[in-house]
Amino acid sequence: MFERLDAQKPALKKLIAALRERYPYASVLATDEHFRSWRVSRNGITISSEGDGGYGFVIRVFDETGCAEYSINAFSEEMIPKIAAEMERRLEAERRALPEGITPMPTAIPDDSPAVLKKEAKYEIDPMDVGDEAILDLIRRIREKGMQAENILDIACNVTYCAERKLFLSEHRDLDETHMWTNAGVGAFGSRGEEVKDSYQGYSMLGGAELLKEVENDVDEVTRRLNDLLQSEPMIPGEYECVCDPEVTGMIVHEAFGHGVEMDMFVKDRAQAKQFIGEYVASPLVTMHDGSAVDECATWAFDDEGTLTGDTVIIDKGVLRRGMCDALSAMRLGTKPTGNGRRESYERKAYTRMTNTYFESGDATKEEMIASIKYGFLLEEPTSGMEDPKNWGIQCMVNVAREIRDGKLTGKVFSPIVLTGYVPDLLKSVSMMGGKVELAGGGYCGKGYKEWVKVSDGGAYMKARIRLG
Amino acid sequence: MERIKKLLKEAGISDYIIYGYRERTAELFFVKRQLDTRRLKDVEKFKVTVFRTDEKDGKKLRAATDVTVLAEMTDAELLDAFKGAYFAAQFAMNPYYELPDPVKAPLIEAHGKLAEQAPEQSAGEMAAALFKADCEKDAFLNSAEIFVIQKRAHVISSRGTDVSWIEAEVKGEYVVQAKEPEDVEMYRDFAYTELNTDALSAQAKEALMFVRDRARAQKILKSGNYDVILTDENVMMTLWFYGDRSAAHMIYPGYSTWKVGDDVQGETNGERVTITLRALAPYSGEGIPMRDRKLIENGVMQSTHGSNRFCRYLGVEPTGNYRKFSCDNPGTMSFEEMRKRPCLWAVTFSGFEMNAFSGHFGGEIRLAYLIENGKMTPVTGGSINGSILESQKDIVFSTDRYAEIGYDGPYAILLKNVAVAGTDEE
Repeated sequence: MFERLDAQKPALKKLIAALRERYPYASVLATDEHFRSWRVSRNGITISSEGDGGYGFVIRVFDETGCAEYSINAFSEEMIPKIAAEMERRLEAERRALPEGITPMPTAIPDDSPAVLKKEAKYEIDPMDVGDEAILDLIRRIREKGMQAENILDIACNVTYCAERKLFLSEHRDLDETHMWTNAGVGAFGSRGEEVKDSYQGYSMLGGAELLKEVENDVDEVTRRLNDLLQSEPMIPGEYECVCDPEVTGMIVHEAFGHGVEMDMFVKDRAQAKQFIGEYVASPLVTMHDGSAVDECATWAFDDEGTLTGDTVIIDKGVLRRGMCDALSAMRLGTKPTGNGRRESYERKAYTRMTNTYFESGDATKEEMIASIKYGFLLEEPTSGMEDPKNWGIQCMVNVAREIRDGKLTGKVFSPIVLTGYVPDLLKSVSMMGGKVELAGGGYCGKGYKEWVKVSDGGAYMKARIRLG
Repeated sequence: MERIKKLLKEAGISDYIIYGYRERTAELFFVKRQLDTRRLKDVEKFKVTVFRTDEKDGKKLRAATDVTVLAEMTDAELLDAFKGAYFAAQFAMNPYYELPDPVKAPLIEAHGKLAEQAPEQSAGEMAAALFKADCEKDAFLNSAEIFVIQKRAHVISSRGTDVSWIEAEVKGEYVVQAKEPEDVEMYRDFAYTELNTDALSAQAKEALMFVRDRARAQKILKSGNYDVILTDENVMMTLWFYGDRSAAHMIYPGYSTWKVGDDVQGETNGERVTITLRALAPYSGEGIPMRDRKLIENGVMQSTHGSNRFCRYLGVEPTGNYRKFSCDNPGTMSFEEMRKRPCLWAVTFSGFEMNAFSGHFGGEIRLAYLIENGKMTPVTGGSINGSILESQKDIVFSTDRYAEIGYDGPYAILLKNVAVAGTDEE
């Protein structure tokens, strides 16, 4: 797998040498990707490699106007003069067409201190060795089991895997990594008149088909949750004591806070967090990390700009320590990049993006949290969220709010729920943190409404005061 | 294409669709009036879908799998990819369906500056249009991204389809900011199939006005039920509920029970919805000719739409997947009149959502105007949580119009008695 990049590597080094004659900096990120998804539902059986085709190159140079990039997916040694000439011609045309009054953003040439790395993907079982037939048999079995439950319109089961190789080359860097993640999911659908309700359980890991061992057992829980939703009532808006399950905690970490500490937003003066470095933004129970210290879908040893990754402590016991940063933003802010420069693919720009983002554990239990609440809700199954770095407004959607009265779950369920409010108010209200961190990497994260990259987020059960609507 | 066809034959694959395209882009990224990054793209890809047939218990079956290949792959690599996809297809058998009917036609060119001039030049002209609006004292453009895309697409199939066309699009997004009395921002995006510099300037000017109002918006919204006005792209997202629910891939599995002839709006006190699907490209990625077609007329469903497989299963003409629709209701109230009644005009959200399964719509409010006794007060915070299944009974369309790449129709809709979670800080 990925031999194509081995064959291209010497020629890519020649391309960089040729570009360095014209530009003070040149680098190439080369990617190759094998993607496959299997899905079974009432819509039928599908096998797709739709995400495939991730073979290509992004060339980055610095010229008089600053940072410039050229994305291509055809390359050979013979093409080097043509690629270099076409890139220069089109960049010059783009520069000449700029409106009056636009000036280059002052940006230092990127750090290109020597670094060499080669890392292979860790996995036990390659899903392609398991084979299409066995994977489809498994998810068909899960679906058939789920379809036995009451009030089921459909059970949709899927498995997705992605194996990637990234090669970053510059004059002094040679970074090479392969990576594999696997996701699975079980969704249950049921109708209440014209309204179709659904419940979903996702699974993820940095690795291969070994993930599938844990998928089969939870379908009963998903169908139970769907039946709860079919009995659900609309939420009565208000501020409540809430217990967030680890996935809801993860959504709050990611959507409500994480996007606000992406430091390309500091460059644009779009993040309130910039003014709060060194200050309390959360309860002392909150410590937040981003990076490659954990093994999940977004764990890479280097980012898409050739910066080595690590563990970034964003909030330390309630105090905002720093943000996460891509290479260009770091140069503009006079700080060090944290290995968070990520692209949707070689066809897209790099931005500051989260990787694996989570709150550290505490020492409380879910049961203790529920018992401590006179009236409130246990929140489960996050569905979506939207960032607001400038104003730290929260918009997160969850599917399930289970009513708590006098320290006990009543069995009553409310849905759907919109979480709103001011991020520091929510984080400062955190009064209990659970003992076990769980990460979920089944989703993709957008920057605004585009630029989808694989991320994971999580934390433990968490008690906080939250405005629900 | 010819090499792919030859190798598919060599791999023993008789049924296929090849969708190939070459895409060139010019992209500009700005932070205030400084150039952050310039980007260019030139890529070519071929999505090859291979089909396989089988028979079980006397019933014909069909499977499809896809693989994306590149021009620089060797014959051996292509053969491996095609054989692998064909082998996998035996495990993904579904009820049989025919491939799209064959269509042969000469290249359809796109006309106008956006399609004909260099994308780098168009990117510069759109940047000029955007910054032209950036001349206010108390609000300004914080950052912007512009993407000009020229695409040449080609579909051929084993049934004889051979069509090709050229598309051009400019799209992007920008953030406007106001610093006093509160430091706030608002996000807007845009997309056009022509070099519509005037539309972009006008949109940016309006966005700068809204962000000024957001800067002085108060958190005074009380929880309760309100008559809510939605405008521009939030109208588009709300009304696409009808597009989602009438899609073949929603109807075939039973997620939607709608069928042609159904009164999908049910009993109403207000206006009856009329929607037309609009073709943005001459063909779909499966090579299906696309044309405008009536979807909903006076609340009654007129057609089902979607990809070849699901349309075939439902026994309807395959239409291709649409990216644009128009709401043809002329409206009964001007936007000005709408704003004279007590209501909440929700202008922008953190992220407006319309869930086609549940019918719920809403999001966290970034800017709304609370209209009471003829007075408009900018408010921020709180959220809307409505259901189109309820709201469609009494919907009012504005006579004012709005158009963008995916929509043409009323600028505003008035929805009655929608649940709003306030900030309740008074």
